[in-house]
Amino acid sequence: MKITVKIRRALAGGGAPFATVVCLLMYAIYAVRAPSALSIFGITNVLNDAIVLAIGSVGLTVVVLAGEFDLSGVGVIAIANVLVATTSGATGLGAVGSLALVLAIGLLVGTINGVLVALFHLQSLAATIGTMIACEGVALLILPAPGGEVADNIATGLTGDVAGVMPVALLILGGFAAAWFLFKRTSLGVAIYATGADAQAARLSGINLRRTRLVAFMLAGLCYAFAGYMLSAETGTGDPRVSSALLLFMYAAVAIGGTSLSGGKGGVFGSLAGAGILTVLQKMLFALGVAEFYTNIFNGIVMICALLFGNLASLLVGSVRRQVAK
Amino acid sequence: MSPPVPALEVRAIGKRYGATVALEDVSFALHAGEVCGLLGENGAGKSTLVKVLSGVVAPDSGEMWIGGAVYSPRNINDARSMGVATAFQELSLVPTLSVAVNLFLPRPAGRGFGLVRLRRLEQEAARVLQVYGVADIHPGALVGELSLGVRQRIEIVRAMMRAPRLLLLDEPTSALSDREWLFALISRALDAGTSVLYISHKLDEIRRICHRCVVLRNGRKVLDSSVAALSDAEIFSSMAGRSLVEAFPVASSAVQPAPPALSVKNLTAEGIEDVHLTLARGEILGVAGLEGQGQSSLFKALAGLLPLRHGSIEVAGRREIFHSPRTARRAGVVLVPEDRKEEGIFKDLSTLANISLPVIGQCHRLRFIDRRVERARVEQIIPIVELAERYLPLNIEALSGGNQQKAVLAQALIAGARCLLLFDPTRGVDVGAKQSIYRLMRRFAEEGGAILFYSTELDELVHLCDRCLVIYRNRIAGEVPRAALSQERILALASGHSLPQRAEEEHFAEKPVVAR
Repeated sequence: MKITVKIRRALAGGGAPFATVVCLLMYAIYAVRAPSALSIFGITNVLNDAIVLAIGSVGLTVVVLAGEFDLSGVGVIAIANVLVATTSGATGLGAVGSLALVLAIGLLVGTINGVLVALFHLQSLAATIGTMIACEGVALLILPAPGGEVADNIATGLTGDVAGVMPVALLILGGFAAAWFLFKRTSLGVAIYATGADAQAARLSGINLRRTRLVAFMLAGLCYAFAGYMLSAETGTGDPRVSSALLLFMYAAVAIGGTSLSGGKGGVFGSLAGAGILTVLQKMLFALGVAEFYTNIFNGIVMICALLFGNLASLLVGSVRRQVAK
Repeated sequence: MSPPVPALEVRAIGKRYGATVALEDVSFALHAGEVCGLLGENGAGKSTLVKVLSGVVAPDSGEMWIGGAVYSPRNINDARSMGVATAFQELSLVPTLSVAVNLFLPRPAGRGFGLVRLRRLEQEAARVLQVYGVADIHPGALVGELSLGVRQRIEIVRAMMRAPRLLLLDEPTSALSDREWLFALISRALDAGTSVLYISHKLDEIRRICHRCVVLRNGRKVLDSSVAALSDAEIFSSMAGRSLVEAFPVASSAVQPAPPALSVKNLTAEGIEDVHLTLARGEILGVAGLEGQGQSSLFKALAGLLPLRHGSIEVAGRREIFHSPRTARRAGVVLVPEDRKEEGIFKDLSTLANISLPVIGQCHRLRFIDRRVERARVEQIIPIVELAERYLPLNIEALSGGNQQKAVLAQALIAGARCLLLFDPTRGVDVGAKQSIYRLMRRFAEEGGAILFYSTELDELVHLCDRCLVIYRNRIAGEVPRAALSQERILALASGHSLPQRAEEEHFAEKPVVAR
């Protein structure tokens, strides 16, 4: 009984381990063709390429687990990017000041989303399309054309490594992973899963649906803002349109990581691995000499395979369950 | 000496949903350490009352007191803090969480920003499960992987473990095989001073454990009395609002000679095996059976919703293969489905649009839908189902259950059905609408239509049918001819007994209404 429970759990949580294995496998192929990938410089490089997508999809995962949609992420990232590019310079707020400003904006947008969905019962897909468009408009207002300048300490401090052994990006991602590890064990974390799995049952179990949904959107807003901050550090400049392509990739990372888009199942670790897959895939194909315009075809195929695997895992869980029942 | 303060007092509670009155002017009191039964047909307002008492639904009017203190819960946690715990009929467990976490929702990690310590939580849960005599349930198992009966036990344990002052049990035995377990727990809770409101439509359970019972009908309290002072017939007639025998249209059989309207041979599909039946024109053929004996599969197979594994269906002498309800409809065979809200109506459409849907393709001029033609077609049909014209423009969801069902029947008839498959058409329908449906069935048969009629209300089968087939364990267990139709006879066959005498002793007192 105990062992089968464990097997079932491992299979049910099939997304994250599977995606991690695939990600590492791709990285190994990449490293065979490009040995520099194993140096601290190479690893830092890949992590820097992945981190914006990774943190953005962490935020999205929280909302998706609660059973809602959130498209506003790219809007928040755009605002954060142009704000950092316009305020972090020598005459502005500096690195910490602009981070605080950006996080405040993320929290504000998340709160607006949460209020629209949790209190006014708007459909989250529609409501967050609204906030996304509005946010992109605000970003254009702040910085009508690409430009601005990101403070040097942000650009170099967040993209380098510590003492030549530890990429800063890895520290940041590790911090997010650890925070999630703790958060999903709080009552609020459990409430987010419960709300996404069966809102009516969660409500009858005494869970405050409004507060749970509101908090999910607020946390997501904070993550998007930080993702925007990291984007600024990577690019060193502001561009109000740079993030548009990220939206679908964030959803792809979440789906590849095994989180159910209808809520209640999955988690942040899977999404981190999903973001890793999408980034490493590009590197691997490039190293294998596949022309860049084929990359999206493979991205799409990987995503579909991940979804098929998710189905397969639940089928296996079902057959194990039937055997237990016998 | 003043009388003791009641554990719960409810005064003049009212609640309506759109045009539907769910509760109206309901008042009663519950004393400390008492079990009170709450009875009523489906749609009588029992579940709404439970939701009002649990803080899930706010009443439109009325007041409540618990132990003398004003009680107006805004949510389920308010209710819990006042000592009210509920085991819901639809079960309120989250399927993707473990048993242990479910038991301690909404705060499995305790107050504040603590972390869920899984091992300790499961130990604690195992202790609770032990105390309530269900130590065989693994606290780490996911609820979604457990059977319905086990889930119902967990639901009950979760309500009881809070040691409430008032315990609400809404149909707690619907999936439970071992009722004695529950009854033992209830008497233990009573000893601890808990008051219990026990919602059920099973009269033997009410007699077994309740001192008193309250009967609701169409949202109103119609009876409040000691159980011992009432006969079964009195309780049933107050639930149904009429005495059991009258109020059915009296008519002679309209059965016409061959060829039959519908003839089924060797029909086998998922959940139903080897069914033979012939349905003559003008005949109302009843189908009876306890819940889950295959009746639903039979109706679905005949309507083209389930593929046949074996067997044949002939309509008016012609061999037919129904790939879909659409092909069945084309042959004149129309199903009025079991679950009206989910399968019968289009929630966001008007009543008119719901009715006209099967013929909307014919209501056009120059390929554009002509609203006047549509309206005329619908107006032809609604007098037959006795649906008032003023409901046509309303959203169908705003209609009462009875009027919704009339609209569903009108939709079935509008395309010229020759054979109606009615699956429990009077469920959740008020008495007046029931009468309309009975008259409609009678008229439809007299005009040469054929009806296959499943009902959970045995008296309907007895009084309306020309013959009745009884299903038991996915097969036709027997047929009762019109002259011999009686509830006892049907029940005997439905519960697998072939000897009517024995069955009468064992089952009649227990289940005059077949389990839903």
